[in-house]
Amino acid sequence: MNDDIAVGIDLGTSYSCVAVVQEDGAAPAVLPNEWGERTHASVVSFLDDGTVLVGNDAKKNIITNAENTIYSAKRLIGRFFFSDEVKKAQSVMPYRILEGPNNSVRLGVKEKVFAVPEISALVLKEMKAIAETSLGREVKKAVITCPAYFNDNQRQATKDAGRIAGLEVLRIINEPTAAALAYGFGKDINQKICVYDLGGGTFDVSILEIGKDVFEVLSTAGDTYLGGDDFDDRIMAWLADDFLARHGLDLRQNKYCLQMLKEASEQAKIQVGREGAAAIDVQGICQSPEGQVLNLEQKLSGDHFNRMVMDLVQRTFKVCDEALQSARLTAGDVDAVILVGGPTRLPIIRNSVRHYFQRDPMTGIDPDEVVALGAAIQGRALLSTRAAEYGQASYLLDVTPLTLRVATVGGFTEPIIDKNTPIPIEKSKTFTTSRDGQDRVRIRVYQGESKQADACELLGEFEFTGFRIGYRGEVQIQVTFEIDSNGIVNVSATDLETGQKTSTTINLSSGLSETDLQKAIDDNAAVELARAQHTA
Amino acid sequence: MDAQFLIELETLAEVLDQLDYFGVLKVPQTASPGEIKAAYYRESRAYHPDRYATVESADLREMIGRIYRRVNEAYTVLRDDRKRTKYLADVTGPEREKKLRFTEADEAQVKEAQKRKIEEQFGQTPNGRKFYAAALKEIEGQRWDAAERALKSALMYEAGNPKFKELLAQVQAEYEKVRPKGDYRIK
Repeated sequence: MNDDIAVGIDLGTSYSCVAVVQEDGAAPAVLPNEWGERTHASVVSFLDDGTVLVGNDAKKNIITNAENTIYSAKRLIGRFFFSDEVKKAQSVMPYRILEGPNNSVRLGVKEKVFAVPEISALVLKEMKAIAETSLGREVKKAVITCPAYFNDNQRQATKDAGRIAGLEVLRIINEPTAAALAYGFGKDINQKICVYDLGGGTFDVSILEIGKDVFEVLSTAGDTYLGGDDFDDRIMAWLADDFLARHGLDLRQNKYCLQMLKEASEQAKIQVGREGAAAIDVQGICQSPEGQVLNLEQKLSGDHFNRMVMDLVQRTFKVCDEALQSARLTAGDVDAVILVGGPTRLPIIRNSVRHYFQRDPMTGIDPDEVVALGAAIQGRALLSTRAAEYGQASYLLDVTPLTLRVATVGGFTEPIIDKNTPIPIEKSKTFTTSRDGQDRVRIRVYQGESKQADACELLGEFEFTGFRIGYRGEVQIQVTFEIDSNGIVNVSATDLETGQKTSTTINLSSGLSETDLQKAIDDNAAVELARAQHTA
Repeated sequence: MDAQFLIELETLAEVLDQLDYFGVLKVPQTASPGEIKAAYYRESRAYHPDRYATVESADLREMIGRIYRRVNEAYTVLRDDRKRTKYLADVTGPEREKKLRFTEADEAQVKEAQKRKIEEQFGQTPNGRKFYAAALKEIEGQRWDAAERALKSALMYEAGNPKFKELLAQVQAEYEKVRPKGDYRIK
């Protein structure tokens, strides 16, 4: 009997949470920090004394130390520099977003340049520290969650972040699946459920069938460009336009004013959700050219807010339609609906969900903590040899969210593994040489639903060498595409004639090389986390 | 892991490539969708790799992974009506050995079939196709003489095309009906 332990970490766009199942038979529990906080802002602030402040206190620094405080890194992780999301972030974020090798993204803070996983690794380092303080022991293993709709690049980058933080990542699991696991674990449930997960930056829907200890994902759909932050943006746009009309000044032009505007909008959203109306009052938000100090004062009614965000809400139900269609079910077939993510507390979301599914969403589930609890359960399951004895076996049968494709001629792609295929899975395809004496075969691998390569996400170019050189068409190379339980793609090839594996090199990948990773691990270990200054 | 189960695993791994998907899920070929799902859940409880995450031997874990990937592959095909029907035909036919791992109607085959269909309908050469398409338009407008000219041009490029010849005969018959008699035509 070992006392090995693995924590579950919900690494969210806006907030993160860490939980653990301490031993076989125990219930999962969230681990609070020393101030009793159970969720922690995914904000990383580089202080002047060389330490790094992570968490709820770092949030204040978004305004006071804007250039050196990074938030919502999850919106950038695993993305290409030229993607829409990164371009949008460049125009609103006060921190420097730069181009790295192979179209990757880098973040500039003071004189240093970081890859995005390195920033997320600092959040994970803080989660690790919180767990270790709470448990009074070292923590080396973790299960980390990610949105179900994350592609291979994003998943790999998340796994890298875990490694950089000094964790052995036992598994990357999908957030809705984790929530379903926390909901159904240890109960004798036979149900079809829908998990509606609206986080800070991403939206996922998963339809699952639970058969006691089996959690089968029937389908998953999502929008990695849609979250609570977009609701804030609507309020921000309205406030900024109104201010412009009144005072002739555009608050969005100044990054400091923009941050204050952002915080006011987020507060307004929460207030309008809780109380049905919000009063926005930011004294001294900016100065006019004549030196007059201006205030931002407004009132937001519940109805006005709902109208502002109605199109975003409708987008979520288009995604629900898609998930139900892939699962070959109707909304009426769903026995229970689980809401995940802070923004699902908004009345407009709860009411729309009730209307769409013709039933009330499940209560008694904390939308901020349920994902971490599920990850903790999975962590224990992967360490335990005796879970079945405690009636605590669980089998997560998840799926890949995007179709895996290979480039063919003319900028087109052909599908290899369809979306919503259960994982782990493999598929083989035979390729041959097109020229006499060809000594390498290159294939480009994508994920996405379009036949056009440029509408899909490039995972990388795989180059195979070491096979027998012959006339064109003579050499048969069997390429095997494998998607593992993390939803991560592995490609290998064999010379069919000899049965020998070819050597495989990956080019054009935007991820970190092993050398970069090793350096990042060392750098992260050397970082000193600042302790928040709390006045009791 | 007890010795009995280990033997079962090794045996299964050895015969895996000779089994069809019904064999992998241990269901009869007549199994209902409900039975397929129940079998999938049963096999998942037995062979899901997560259950063996703590097993020391990497080879053993890889063996289990290989078996379970096949279980997922089998379920993906058998739970889909269209794929299941095709798969059943494949594995009860003469090429069973080659078709144990499902592929959508060979892409090459599909392309060939499509190409053949188009060629039959519209011609095998670009100019043949062009004149044939023009002829169809003229036929639509009941301009039989123009259609006749177009088809004759098409046949210049594809003398043997039966469809062109057939349509030409039809068009000529139509034109005979309406041709103004008694004028001088250059043949």
